[in-house]
Amino acid sequence: MDPLINGLISLADPYLLSLLLIATIGGVVIGALPGLNATTGAALLLPFTLTMEPVPAIATMTAIYCSATFAGAITAILINTPGTAASATTCLDGYPLARRGEAGRALGMAVVSSTFGGIFSVLCLMLAAPLLARAAYNFSPPEYFALTLFGLSMLASIGDGSALKNLIAGGLGILIAMIGVDNLTSVERFTFGSYELYEGIGFVPVMIGVFGISELLVQSQQLHVKREAIRMKSVELPGRADYKKTWRTILRSSGIGTFIGILPAEGATVASMIGYNEAKRWSRNPEEFGKGAIEGVAGSEAANNAATGGAMVPTLALGIPGSATAAVILAGLMVHGLRPGPAMFTEQADFAYAIFWSMMLVNILFLIIGLRGAKIFARVTLIPVQVLWPSVFVFSIVGAYALDQSMFDVWVALGSGVIGYFMRRYGFSVVPLAIGLILGGMLEQRLGQSMVMLDEKWWLMFTRPLTLLFLVLTALALFGPAVWGRLVKRRAPLESSGE
Amino acid sequence: MPQHSRQDLAKPDLAKPDLAQQDPAQQELVKGDWRRFERWFIPGLIIVFCMVAFWLTTTFKTMPPILKRGIQPSDFPQLLLGLLVLLTLFMVWKDPIRVKERMHRSTWGTILLFVVFAATTAVDLFLALAIFAVAMAAYWGERRAPMLALVGLVIPVGIFFVFDQVFEIRFPRGLLTNLWYG
Repeated sequence: MDPLINGLISLADPYLLSLLLIATIGGVVIGALPGLNATTGAALLLPFTLTMEPVPAIATMTAIYCSATFAGAITAILINTPGTAASATTCLDGYPLARRGEAGRALGMAVVSSTFGGIFSVLCLMLAAPLLARAAYNFSPPEYFALTLFGLSMLASIGDGSALKNLIAGGLGILIAMIGVDNLTSVERFTFGSYELYEGIGFVPVMIGVFGISELLVQSQQLHVKREAIRMKSVELPGRADYKKTWRTILRSSGIGTFIGILPAEGATVASMIGYNEAKRWSRNPEEFGKGAIEGVAGSEAANNAATGGAMVPTLALGIPGSATAAVILAGLMVHGLRPGPAMFTEQADFAYAIFWSMMLVNILFLIIGLRGAKIFARVTLIPVQVLWPSVFVFSIVGAYALDQSMFDVWVALGSGVIGYFMRRYGFSVVPLAIGLILGGMLEQRLGQSMVMLDEKWWLMFTRPLTLLFLVLTALALFGPAVWGRLVKRRAPLESSGE
Repeated sequence: MPQHSRQDLAKPDLAKPDLAQQDPAQQELVKGDWRRFERWFIPGLIIVFCMVAFWLTTTFKTMPPILKRGIQPSDFPQLLLGLLVLLTLFMVWKDPIRVKERMHRSTWGTILLFVVFAATTAVDLFLALAIFAVAMAAYWGERRAPMLALVGLVIPVGIFFVFDQVFEIRFPRGLLTNLWYG
């Protein structure tokens, strides 16, 4: 019980409180800006946290994560452009509502359902993460290897690329993690005798490049897009009729979002799509969806914010990122010398609970900020891209330099940005690349340790029940959708012939 | 009760106009042959990259059995590279690369500005940032002097002082930073 209370007490620090407030406002601005999202925001913020203590540093990043995920709804509702991909489904009903003159009602519902989803997921995080960590505490290297492999296999279904391309991108990320001195044997790999490559390629410059600079190049293709915001008077809290109509949807979507978030690598985007779809499936008026159903806004927003807390469960308890933004936060934990995993809940329990409480507070903060300031934040969306993106570039370059005060990192960020742009152009998502880079070293290290433990008899992995379970799950994640698709295809003609 | 299947989920309208439908040059592109070129070129590039990387792994030191700690330093990268080649070949067959639109001139121009930025960092990092920011804003269509001053002067200078004073980061010496560092 002590860490729970100690974590709460740490929130009494005025410095931390003011940082959280600033980060929440910053996160709302980032989320409201089309093109910028929680992942890019966290990656750009990471260098700013270097001089901070771990609690304020990571709490600030999680504040950006939670508030930017919510703020995507502002632009989704007012200008029919999701501020973040996780708010894409909010457009479907939020914008029609706004066009009907009910923008305030739609935003009010978005704020309330996001807050509920966020708080629900943090409560689940507080409960599930320590339990998961306790279960994982006795894992041996083979179990960890299989678990990491399972986390990587989930890359197949994330991002905007296809499963195959995601896996290739993830593999390239793992390959980049091989650069430098091998942790197990101290042998130099792919260093070409360069001193800069001796310690490997840093996570931070690569993330700044693939999330920030590549997005800049994507934006350079959309200079002609004109954005016009719908005017609104103020954000309205949902009325009794709206609550009556949506409480089941909010509760269901919060559960869905939290569960999807907990799955390694699956984030808010998938959660919001499933949350929206389930809201429609269970609705008494599904025909209203897409035309301005308030349940659609609630279903999408509760789910995407619930995924934030869910995504932090595997991130903190197992060291496997639950989403792209969680991957950046994981990189932040590593940069600050923290070891995410089961030990976090025994050796750094106060830290873990301080993060949980700060996430809870941020969810309450953006309720207030969202209700009071959505009208102002909506104007942020109209900042000209010609001003926004050069500024993002300056931040990105200085941020990349700041970590190790090395110009080499600037070149890495710039190169990753250009490569990331071309990857996106050819249908490869950059999220698997970033996650592969983080998990690559871990995967190899755990494979090596497993081989030592099993006396180099790799097939003995299959005799360990938990390892086998994770390997089966990995196989299901990789081949399940294709096999299922084929089965469905085969059954379809049979069904039609039976008519 | 559920009334619709999961397939009912409509694709969100991301408000991104399909450029191929707007621009005649883009329409021409879709019909053109170069798409086929990219279909083969990118996988080819990945495979050549993997082969070169594989060759590099053969130059890694081999550890004696007592020191190898489970696997040789080249084992894991070789396994990974083999998998990458297999996945790439499978991609060519099952999920070929399709490009919907031609790269815009503004994107090429922005990449060119990256090169100019990289070259001018030799003189001074912040001078390069300021020049890049102004050039990019102007290239993207900004003509208002106060806005150009904001991106080219206020933001780089502001960021410099935040990092220098608050985070105590020392930037590489150059023409402008020397004025501050002395």
